[in-house]
Amino acid sequence: MTTSTEQSLASGASNGSGKSTAAAATQALNKTYGTGDTRVHALKNVDVAFQSGKFTAIMGPSGSGKSTLMHCLAGLDTADSGKIWIGGTEITALNDNQLTKLRRERVGFVFQAFNLVSTLTAEQNITLPIALAGGTVDKEWFRYVTSTLGLADRLTHRPHELSGGQQQRVAVARALLTRPDVIFGDEPTGNLDSKVGAEVLSLLRRSATEMGQSIIMVTHDPVAASYADRVVLMNDGALVGELERPGTEQILAALAKLGA
Amino acid sequence: MLQVALAQVKQHARRFIAVALAVVMAVGFLTATLMVNASTEASLGNSVGAGFRNADLVVSSGLDKPLDERAAEAVADADGVAEVYVQQQTHVAFGAAGEASYGALQNTAPSAGLDHLELIEGTLPGSAEVAVDDATAERLALTVGSQLEFAPGAGMAAAEDVAASGIPATVSAIVKASKDPLMMGQPQFFGTSGLIAALAGEQAPVQVRSIQLDLAAGTDTATAKDAVAAALAAAGFAEPTVNTAAEQTKEVVASFTGGTDQLTIVLLAFALVAVLVSALVVANTFSVLIAQRTRELALLRCIGADRGQIRRSVLVEALLVGVVASVIGVLGAVGLMAGIIAVLQGRPDTEFAALAVPPLAVAVGLVTGVVMTVLAALAPARAATAVAPLAALRPAEDVRVGNRKGKVRLGFGIALVVGGAVVLGLGALNANLLIALPGGAMSFIGLLLCATLFVPPLVTAIGALARPLGVPGKLAAVNAVRNPGRTSATATALLIGVTLVVMMMTGAQTARTAFESELSAQYPVDISIGNLAEDGGQLDEAAVQTALTYDGVAAAGLITTGGYATLNGQRTGVYQLTPAQRELLQDHSLTLDADTVLLAEGSGLDTLTVTGSSGSKELRVVEVSSFSFPPLMSSAVAEEIGVPAPAAADSEEYYSSLPQLWLSVDRDLDATALMELRSELAAGLNVQDYQTSGAAIERAAFNQIIDVLLLVVTGLLAVAVLIALVGVANTLSLSVLERTQESSLLRALGLTRNQLRGMLALEAVLIAGVAALIGSGLGILYGWLGAQSALGTFTAVVPDVPWLQLGAVLAVAVVAGLLASVMPARRAARLSPVEGLATV
Repeated sequence: MTTSTEQSLASGASNGSGKSTAAAATQALNKTYGTGDTRVHALKNVDVAFQSGKFTAIMGPSGSGKSTLMHCLAGLDTADSGKIWIGGTEITALNDNQLTKLRRERVGFVFQAFNLVSTLTAEQNITLPIALAGGTVDKEWFRYVTSTLGLADRLTHRPHELSGGQQQRVAVARALLTRPDVIFGDEPTGNLDSKVGAEVLSLLRRSATEMGQSIIMVTHDPVAASYADRVVLMNDGALVGELERPGTEQILAALAKLGA
Repeated sequence: MLQVALAQVKQHARRFIAVALAVVMAVGFLTATLMVNASTEASLGNSVGAGFRNADLVVSSGLDKPLDERAAEAVADADGVAEVYVQQQTHVAFGAAGEASYGALQNTAPSAGLDHLELIEGTLPGSAEVAVDDATAERLALTVGSQLEFAPGAGMAAAEDVAASGIPATVSAIVKASKDPLMMGQPQFFGTSGLIAALAGEQAPVQVRSIQLDLAAGTDTATAKDAVAAALAAAGFAEPTVNTAAEQTKEVVASFTGGTDQLTIVLLAFALVAVLVSALVVANTFSVLIAQRTRELALLRCIGADRGQIRRSVLVEALLVGVVASVIGVLGAVGLMAGIIAVLQGRPDTEFAALAVPPLAVAVGLVTGVVMTVLAALAPARAATAVAPLAALRPAEDVRVGNRKGKVRLGFGIALVVGGAVVLGLGALNANLLIALPGGAMSFIGLLLCATLFVPPLVTAIGALARPLGVPGKLAAVNAVRNPGRTSATATALLIGVTLVVMMMTGAQTARTAFESELSAQYPVDISIGNLAEDGGQLDEAAVQTALTYDGVAAAGLITTGGYATLNGQRTGVYQLTPAQRELLQDHSLTLDADTVLLAEGSGLDTLTVTGSSGSKELRVVEVSSFSFPPLMSSAVAEEIGVPAPAAADSEEYYSSLPQLWLSVDRDLDATALMELRSELAAGLNVQDYQTSGAAIERAAFNQIIDVLLLVVTGLLAVAVLIALVGVANTLSLSVLERTQESSLLRALGLTRNQLRGMLALEAVLIAGVAALIGSGLGILYGWLGAQSALGTFTAVVPDVPWLQLGAVLAVAVVAGLLASVMPARRAARLSPVEGLATV
């Protein structure tokens, strides 16, 4: 374990902490899809650690492996080899039920679309993971989260009665409510116009800053990525670089270099 | 998760309507079936109990000796007995308004406590008075104060005899007609025991029906029962039973209803088919609903729902729908039965009808409905747990729910088909229905299991016929098999009903043909009228002319005796047949030479000597395969030996040598017309109906039975077909929902609203049509093999397909398919292209 931590420190950011204490981390992660001619090496020996309490963006062109990395990190997909940690727990060996338990207790999700169960109200959607786990809702925390996200007067509405931005905010609230080790965002602003998108990104930013929430977001939008503390760049299934608190221009430049 | 399930059902109630409808129909059918028996019993109880409804105890006679006054006296002394009513009844002739007729006379109870009459007007009869039932009073215009004469009811009584020698009585009351089965259907009179005693005689004995007892207040029924039984035994009556009124009703009803249990079992078999079909529709609908919710299920898995929670959620939905639908089904059944009973109560013959809702029927209906729905949802629920969490992140089109159990099911299905076919074949070969039945059931279940093997390819093949209709046609053919499993399941539900209906039709038709050829062989001609006319006259040539005037009679001939012979030790007439009359024979292959005689099967003779007026001749015996065939020879032989004089009225051969009238009727006469013709002929020729016999008449009677049975069976199976059609409509409407974006894209690309509607209609017609086609094929096969198994020992069975009825079934399936597409197609077409594409 010590060696791997040192390796990750060496290969990762200078401010990274150990893998067992990171919000999420991988070691020598490999994954391939298909066979023969259609074989795609989606992840090549990926070693990465995501710092706790920080907002990290994963960027890269289409097919770079950024989505696969996130799916593996979140326990939604399995890797061929390598190890994955979430909040210090190695998840590579967990079975389906253990993974399910981990997801509802220690991971939050915000997707691009289809985030909410259409038949439930906003409040029911937000508390769903806790209901699934059979736990009780921390009322104070719930009020704090929903009022911070400006949802207090929208709680009895169903998804179709909410705007796209409001729906995304409900998804964020749901992710925050369980105080997970990490929230994964898969293009969370992909379906929103830029103004509403900015609103949601600011919320995620504030969650990290004010609530100390670790967030890992996959995006191809440099503007979205510019809200992050750190941007990890991927290409052809491998980590190819990272930027600390970059501006949009800086990200665009780094991406352009990848494309070239 | 309960929350999710509840929200699902509440929010998407419309999607569950079809499931609910299927369950409602099946449960309703089942519950109604179970209520038929109970209601029959209740109705009978109502009727049977009418005569002793106020009695505390009823003594009825055993087999050893009938009850009499002595028994009544013995009972009266028993402890606790307050009043005794010896209920007597006799058959009487009565004269009213110068006409005599017959009725039943019963004595009234000695005290009000045991009285069971319902007075409409007047007072209970005293001596020389009677009460009459309202129906008779109305028919004969009797009022309180009318005068009647009564005479013993047996023997022929002319009106004037009754009027002259009868005992006069005045009508003192009009009462409501008794529903007692021994009183119903005839004029009912109620008078004193004295009147009955005066009318009693050897020819019309007084029948003591029961001794009814009123117990003193505060007497324990069980104790009194024992005391009465002991008193009877002491008086020498060992066998009588002592019951309370309720027990007595139950006992009598039980002796009546042996047959309704059979009816219930038969009806239950049909209810089972309906339940099975509806389970298929439920399973299929849930599969489709799960497929549509894949994304949502994946999301739930992502945010932490485990497989068990997903499964339970689906099952809870099924449970909710099952409970609601079952309750509606049971209520519907009760409503339906109540309606039927109300109609029956409105008719004088059946006004005793009573509705009974046995708790068992309600419980069985509810439990079956709920259990069936939940069981049917098990497979879809399992499919739902197979949804990977990752599916939430993929584009919708890539999401498919796999079927891992497919191969096992196919293998099992094929094994069942092969095994069942062998057993069915054996049953058919040996003409053994008990072997064929399980074989047929096995092979059919096997076929249903591997429906995915042949339904989609057939839909594709027949879909090719829709190509000429352009893009909508092509798309419909492709769309119909887009999801082979779903198409197969939808078609299967319809297939079951159609197969069973066609099987019954083919079986009936084949049986009909088999019996017709059998009947043709049994009877020489279509109709033969024999024996003496009612006035004692014989049939003659004038009768031939009379017969020919009736529509439907094609040819007629008078067959007379051409000689006499001794057959089985009896002198008998041998009829002669002219060459022209030969045409009347059913079997035209029968030949009559100058040296042959036709005899019925089993004579055991090689030759028969026929004697005429001027000589006799030995004729070679040709046996026909029939037992109701009179000895028959050519008229040429009769001329040769001389036509003898008619037999004397007191001779041995008189009845077997009376002239007969033989008729052939038009081939296209249906059963009703034939029965009418028979009655008209009998009336016109002054003979009784039973004197007319023959193949045509037997055929008509047989056909009528088959037609009624077929009608009933088809009606019962129609429920299953209806449920299946709900399934077709449902699958289609859910598919339409799934394809909203695609439909909108097609519209955007230039498909007109009507073309879109046409496309969906074609899709539905394809699925329904293919199901009906396969069902028809299978039904013909099963019907023929079934008829062979059931009738093979009696007669040669040649398959006969009722093409017209078959065409009707196919037409119904296609039209129903069209109708099923109306709602979904309208919804699909209503959406504007832009709206549809925007829907995510």
